[in-house]
Amino acid sequence: MSAVPGAAGAAAVAAIRARHRLRWWEPLPWLAAIAVFFTFPNHLAFGTQLLVMVLFALSLDLVLGYAGIVTLGHAAFFGAGAYTVGMLAAHAGWNEPLSGLVAAAVVAGLIGLVSGLVLLRTHGLTLLMLTLCTMALIEEGANMGSAWTGGFDGMPGLSFKAVFGVFAFDPLYFRVQYLYTLAVLLGVFVFVRMLVYSSFGRSLTGIRENLLRMHAVGAPVRRRQVVAYAISAALAGIAGGLFTQTNAYVNLSTLGLDRAAGVLIILILGGYGRLYGAIVGAVVYLMLEHTLARAYPTAWQLGLGITLMAVALFARNGLIGLGDKFARWLARRRA
Amino acid sequence: MSAPLLETRGLARNFGALVVARDIDFRLEPGARHALIGPNGAGKTTFVNLLTGALAPSAGSVLLEGTDVTRLPQAARVKRGIARTFQINQLFRGLPVLQNVAIAVAERRGVGGRMFRPAGLRRDVIDEAMGLLERMKLADEAGRTISELPYGRQRLVELAIALGLGPRVLLLDEPAAGVPSAETHVILDAIDALSPEIGVLIIEHDMDLVFRFAKKITVLVQGAILAEGPPEEIAAHPEVRAVYLGTEAAHG
Amino acid sequence: MDLASILLGGLASGMVLFIVSVGLSVTMGLMGFVNLAHGGFAMLGGYVIVVGMGELGMPFGAALLAGFVLVAALAAVLERLFYARLYAASELDQVLFTIGLVFVMIALITLGIGPETQTLTLPAWLRGQTDLGFMQYRTYSLVIIVFGTALMLALWLGFERTRFGAMIRAAVDNRRMTQSLGIDVGRLFTITFAFGCGLAAIGGGLGAEILGLDPQYPLRYLAYFLIVVAVGGLGRVTGVFFAALLIGLLDFVLKIHFPKGGTMFIYALTLILLLWRPQGIFGRRA
Repeated sequence: MSAVPGAAGAAAVAAIRARHRLRWWEPLPWLAAIAVFFTFPNHLAFGTQLLVMVLFALSLDLVLGYAGIVTLGHAAFFGAGAYTVGMLAAHAGWNEPLSGLVAAAVVAGLIGLVSGLVLLRTHGLTLLMLTLCTMALIEEGANMGSAWTGGFDGMPGLSFKAVFGVFAFDPLYFRVQYLYTLAVLLGVFVFVRMLVYSSFGRSLTGIRENLLRMHAVGAPVRRRQVVAYAISAALAGIAGGLFTQTNAYVNLSTLGLDRAAGVLIILILGGYGRLYGAIVGAVVYLMLEHTLARAYPTAWQLGLGITLMAVALFARNGLIGLGDKFARWLARRRA
Repeated sequence: MSAPLLETRGLARNFGALVVARDIDFRLEPGARHALIGPNGAGKTTFVNLLTGALAPSAGSVLLEGTDVTRLPQAARVKRGIARTFQINQLFRGLPVLQNVAIAVAERRGVGGRMFRPAGLRRDVIDEAMGLLERMKLADEAGRTISELPYGRQRLVELAIALGLGPRVLLLDEPAAGVPSAETHVILDAIDALSPEIGVLIIEHDMDLVFRFAKKITVLVQGAILAEGPPEEIAAHPEVRAVYLGTEAAHG
Repeated sequence: MDLASILLGGLASGMVLFIVSVGLSVTMGLMGFVNLAHGGFAMLGGYVIVVGMGELGMPFGAALLAGFVLVAALAAVLERLFYARLYAASELDQVLFTIGLVFVMIALITLGIGPETQTLTLPAWLRGQTDLGFMQYRTYSLVIIVFGTALMLALWLGFERTRFGAMIRAAVDNRRMTQSLGIDVGRLFTITFAFGCGLAAIGGGLGAEILGLDPQYPLRYLAYFLIVVAVGGLGRVTGVFFAALLIGLLDFVLKIHFPKGGTMFIYALTLILLLWRPQGIFGRRA
């Protein structure tokens, strides 16, 4: 069995064995994020929200880009995490940040587990509808339960303890919020990266590429999908919790089609199934939105609509996909 | 007579008024080299779907080594040793060839769901997958994406995946279809190299392949078994000649 | 409000939902295409009809016809240019494209006409009340109920009795086999899609007084259209009819008695229904 394979075969083996290794450019986005802290000290509020959306998009990538589950309701988990942190702080006096995030992850993850077990028995339009309905239910629940959730107005004016008791959130310059969010994001990213390159992650790719084949190789497909869905929900919940903690408020904007469609657009624009698509998409989309949408909202919507149509027709793999094509074109020109 | 490896009793399936499987009693012995032939639309692929659990029967039962597996879903039957290839390739088209087989091997070894260790560090899985590719003469294409391969080579990957599942029963649905005749020997060599207790059932239209490979042939027509026996008997069987081999001569 | 008024109000709501959604159900069942922009066609038709009757002073029938024809033509062009290229694409790409399309539609209407809610100037014979004997009720709503029922019967007859309808039913059940029978499935798709969008246009115009009409219309009612289609069963005219009436009635009643959070009931009901029967009440299991 150990006959020496030909050069091409050996290269393939080496490639598959090295996939998970850190590439030279991987630390760059994180270094850039730290650089921003020093070079744009007056924009850290926006930067913090951008990091929160990166985390949210990353959670969606796990379930959409890797497991291939199309959902329009992922904001359900973002909102669940956001409101968990908010309600704990407002009603139970529990406003320690890190443990709050853990609570958010647990609540959102449990909702994800239960809804995943129930919903993932369906597929296609039915599944899409059910994810929408689940999110709408949670949104209505938050709207109605105003004693707990503040209803339509949400819960403004929350306050949180300092991180580790030392680093207090500063509502003026967002310095601590930014670094805190960046640290959590980095931790989650490392976790997701590990998942993606593990056998579990590989099997998710298999489920996305050919569901029938995965059944036919004996994989417990539904179990893997539900696990991916629940983990993704927990991570979205952490993002939501961060939203509440860094903004010091929570409201219905954390739920609903706007938020869910927004994160979907971010992920697609960046490139799904590619880990860094969440970062690329969030940076590009949110920066454009921050500058253009405020000034010309209708023109922004028009441009966004045209962009989405073009992406669906010509650039399914987003900016990263275009980058790949460009790199291949360059390599062919050199050859 | 020893217990059969795979057996069906009164297996039947209908879609409303359309009967696709009719009271089928079938036995696959350990070490079998068994071929299933019949005209198009006879229900051969449907029968394989019933055996593997991709399709539930309307009546009857499927037994694997004496145990009734009729209620078991597909994935569970795979774990018990039934592996199949599909008539039309079902591969992970966007992934490299090696990855395709590695996924199957990882599932067989029970590590498909492990979350913490990078898949690339599982040398045993990768080496085994590479070994299978070498047997199928696919080693040089191990790094290429499935969609880059010619159809015939993809067919061999399909077989490699089935072998990677370490089956006790191998169900091959037209394994040679689309494979250039110069390469079909790869398929036969791979089957020859199999452990003697493994039972193999092939659906095929290529009569050359059937008569080279099979020790027993079952003829299926309109969802029911028309005849069953060793190749010489089937070749001489008057009804079979009329229904199937007569029209086969026109295709050559 | 007494029972009869509630019933009639809910039926009228449901009828509008039906007229808009029936096209979506047929095209989703036929083409297997997740078209989130369907509400956009309804909105565009609504604007054509409202502007036609209001500013251009067209007679009612002519305005409806104009709405139908213009939107159907636009739909046919879009189908040939874009939708046809995405039939084989993943569900995600279809969702993405149609979200983009509806954004474009909303933006163009906002830029061209403005963000305000539009009101429909009803012709004289539609205004006021009709005497039903046991009560008086708004003529406009009664006409919608009659029209919707007539439309359902006409469509049902069309599907069951005509050759064209048979082709559509065959293609919904098994596209590949229909193609191998020599039927030009591409042309079938275009005609059906255009017709469905034309119906939606009429629904958007007729329903302007009931569902409202403004640029946010397509997104506001997207969930309802999809619910009606999913619950009714893809490609089933009778299914969409009853699902639309059910949702319309429920929504109407809930708005009156539980204005805060009544929609929760609809979403919960849809959840339970779809879990119990994923193919919809009338749908066929794949």
